[in-house]
Amino acid sequence: MTDVVRLEAVSKVYGKGQGAVAALREVSVGIPRGSFTAVMGPSGSGKSTFLHCAAGLDVPSSGSVRLGDTELSRLGETQLTELRRHRVGFVFQAFNLVPALNVTENVTLPLRLAGERVDRAWLGEILARVGLEDRAGHRPAELSGGQQQRVALARALVTRPEVVFGDEPTGALDTMTARQVLRLLREVVTAMGQTVVMVTHDPLAASYAETVLFLADGQIVDTMSGPTPEKVAERMTGLGAWK
Amino acid sequence: MTGFAWKMLRHRKAAFAGAFVALLCAAALVCACLMLLETGLRGTVAPERYAGAPAIVAADQYVRETVDKGKGKTKTKAKPLSERAWLPISVVTALRGTPGVQRVITEVTFPFGGFTGHGWESAGLTPFTIATGRAPRAAGEVVVDARAGLHVGTELRGHRVVGVTAQALPSQDTVFFSTAEARRLAGHPGMVSATGVFPALSRAPQGAVLYTGDERGRLEFLDAEQARVSLISMGGALAGTSLLVGVLVVVGTFALSIQQRRRELALLRAVAATPKQIRKLVGGEALLAGSVAGVLGAAAGIGLGFWLHGTFVSLGAVPANLRLVVSPFPALAALLATVSAAWVAARMSARRLSRVRPVEALGEAALDDGRLPLVRLLAGLALTAGAVVLTVVLSNLSTEAAATPVTMLTALVWTIAATLLGPLAARVVPLPLRVAGVTGFLAARHLRAAPKGLASVLSPLTLMVAMTCTILFVQTTMGDAAQEQAEAGTRAGYVLPGAPAAAVAKVPGVEAVTQVVRTTVRVGLDKYTAQAVTYDPRTLDLGVVSGAVELDAAAVSQTAATRLGLTVGDPLRLTLGDGTRTTLKISAVYTRGLGFGDLTLPHALVSGHVDDPTGTLLVSAPTLTRDALARAVPGATVLDRAQAAAVAVANPQVTYVALGLIIAFTGIAVVNTLAMATSGRTKELAVLRLAGTTRRQILRMLRLEALCAILTAAVAGTAIALVTLSAFATGMTGSPAPYLHLGTYVLVLAAAAALALTATALPARLALRTRPADAVTSA
Repeated sequence: MTDVVRLEAVSKVYGKGQGAVAALREVSVGIPRGSFTAVMGPSGSGKSTFLHCAAGLDVPSSGSVRLGDTELSRLGETQLTELRRHRVGFVFQAFNLVPALNVTENVTLPLRLAGERVDRAWLGEILARVGLEDRAGHRPAELSGGQQQRVALARALVTRPEVVFGDEPTGALDTMTARQVLRLLREVVTAMGQTVVMVTHDPLAASYAETVLFLADGQIVDTMSGPTPEKVAERMTGLGAWK
Repeated sequence: MTGFAWKMLRHRKAAFAGAFVALLCAAALVCACLMLLETGLRGTVAPERYAGAPAIVAADQYVRETVDKGKGKTKTKAKPLSERAWLPISVVTALRGTPGVQRVITEVTFPFGGFTGHGWESAGLTPFTIATGRAPRAAGEVVVDARAGLHVGTELRGHRVVGVTAQALPSQDTVFFSTAEARRLAGHPGMVSATGVFPALSRAPQGAVLYTGDERGRLEFLDAEQARVSLISMGGALAGTSLLVGVLVVVGTFALSIQQRRRELALLRAVAATPKQIRKLVGGEALLAGSVAGVLGAAAGIGLGFWLHGTFVSLGAVPANLRLVVSPFPALAALLATVSAAWVAARMSARRLSRVRPVEALGEAALDDGRLPLVRLLAGLALTAGAVVLTVVLSNLSTEAAATPVTMLTALVWTIAATLLGPLAARVVPLPLRVAGVTGFLAARHLRAAPKGLASVLSPLTLMVAMTCTILFVQTTMGDAAQEQAEAGTRAGYVLPGAPAAAVAKVPGVEAVTQVVRTTVRVGLDKYTAQAVTYDPRTLDLGVVSGAVELDAAAVSQTAATRLGLTVGDPLRLTLGDGTRTTLKISAVYTRGLGFGDLTLPHALVSGHVDDPTGTLLVSAPTLTRDALARAVPGATVLDRAQAAAVAVANPQVTYVALGLIIAFTGIAVVNTLAMATSGRTKELAVLRLAGTTRRQILRMLRLEALCAILTAAVAGTAIALVTLSAFATGMTGSPAPYLHLGTYVLVLAAAAALALTATALPARLALRTRPADAVTSA
């Protein structure tokens, strides 16, 4: 399998001199195409920074981040934006949607910003996959939290990105709704061959992934394949997450 | 992007309400002021008295000077005269001999009580015809117009009515004397005020001006002509000030709304909008808001223009027959100005936008580090330098016409500089709050954490305090200084407006009588206020500092002497109100120029060159009571010194009406910004409530914050006003001390505080109405 995202010796330091804090230290990892990866770690372990650097939302202090053949650390802000527009999708914890726009408009927003034509059939297919074909005209305020996250996922998929990043995508949802969204994410990977990287602190959420990366103090300390909630929780306890 | 901008706009109505209201007010003000300006530029007055004459020949009503512009270029500048210029009879004689001229009608004009007096010779200009009775022939006979309500045989101010005309003029009451009597009463021997030429004239004769069509109205109503000129300068200055205030306010509200929408914009950035697209989106929103507000505001501005014109007419600043010019230009210009203001505001906020990082959408706290960006710091310093230059310029301006707009501009530029550098100050402000317990602690923390939030509120508050103090105290600085000087310099016990000097002088007990006529003269092209007096040290003390007042020479105030670079013994070349040029020796320099006028001239020289030589009498009669004097001069009004001084001060109501609108505008901006800032904090307030802060504590915290802002704005605004007023006073009165009314000042601050507290409390109560848990989760 080829790697979609490749991090080589990536470090990120906030601040300068005495007060400098290293959020990532020399992290090297590859995300294979068509995989579902969860990134776990205690608070302050650097998992958000990892996601920002991998997705081109933030620039690392040193090291290289490659998306496919593109070296991200050499790109300017507008180039990064265009890259995110076409090749990366995002689902955030909350506040994913523009309240002024309805479901269809929110989903097609990246295409509109790129000035591209909307492929109606593809849009219909995506909306059907996330189960929102009958909600296309609704505003975010008229949707439940789970529905809003599904709209966000549809938006992340609409540009046929190389990779979808999720930052605690189920963090603001109740257990039942969270499971629906996680199942959907998994389906996207298996049925559509999509690559998904998800940051979470929830062992249950992580158990839907194929691979779990454990971060602590800005370094990858462990990797787990075929995770179950119990195994993940145990490993996290070992990392000192729940004392 | 426009469709998208429209959707955002419709959804975030509240965030745009502030900018919208500010734009609307700016459009209305600019439109109204431009209507006045246009009336000044293009306003016409239809001829009434001269309506029946196809062509009128009269003297040039302007003083013209050729100014050397350097590099061998010259330019002739014209300034209107303050009194009517008369035409030598020799011109009329020449006209009579001109080929093609069949008939010439001469006219003299002079005030007669509330009437305008003429000789019967000029009846044909209108034309007036007799309805009952006959034309006046002897000295004591008059003919009145149809509206006078007088019959043949009745009396009018000691004259017998011998006829009534069939006509009356819309805006003047006319009385006709016999031609010889009118010439005597008019007091310009060998001169006429105008000449009607029939049937037509192609070219003006040497030394005169030809008036045809609506130009005849301008000649007929010289007061309208002067009002027109002052409308141009006032309309222009007001429109400019409103526009600048508008830009400042709109920039503030826009910056605030962008700050509040930071997260939404960050989401767009994360989802794949380039910084340029975000700027375009915000620019589109600004243009949309500007267009809608501009159209509505311009419509409202037309109404406001009519109201202003009506108010000026009722205050006597504009004659009723100078009608408001209504055309689409002011509305279109206001719309253009508003849209540009919105665009400028968006451009200026755009700099802020490029710094919105996409990561902020992921819930990262938007860091407001309170550091001043370099561009802002540099702009702030540049504007401070500009303000210093303006202040220096202002302190050298000694005419009101020049000083008034510069005063407004100086106060504005200082305020903008203070706004730009405001966040620096905002970090120092909250220190004293520490003593106010837990709510004080919260307020201080918030103000320190978000200095830009405080700065956005401070800007309109400072603007309001600075502008209000400047506008109000410019008037008192002028008025009080003038009144003080007039009171100190009037030695006469009584002042009799319009009384006959000879009769009063004969009253037993009267020691000295001084006749005073006020006029305006020009030295070169510059206007100077002047009084023409029969000088007597027993009635008048000008505060002479060098030389001594001589009866056939001029005395000048220190301000004027400095401006003209003249001193005692120098010749003073001047143009009297009616355009007559003369040269006088300067015999004295005095200090009380504001109270008595810049120049003091011999009464005998000037009285023949003013429209109304009636004037005022200063009477020194230490042994007589006021009642005794009033009995001795039947029909005269007798004022004592204090009353007279109060009457002498110019009426500043016109200024108050016009500039009051700008004050109101800044008041609206204050309410606007505070309401926006408070309602934008719903979530934060909810978090505080969930943490156990009571509703009462939150309101107290907000009140403390608002008071803190008011205090800062009061200090900054007062400082700005004091610097500006000081410079103004230096130029106008020669002393840097402005006159402040403590009561008025306290009232201004109290009003600002009341406004700010209300504008904070109302949206806060609204925000506290939602359940805290709901408020926290809603986006």
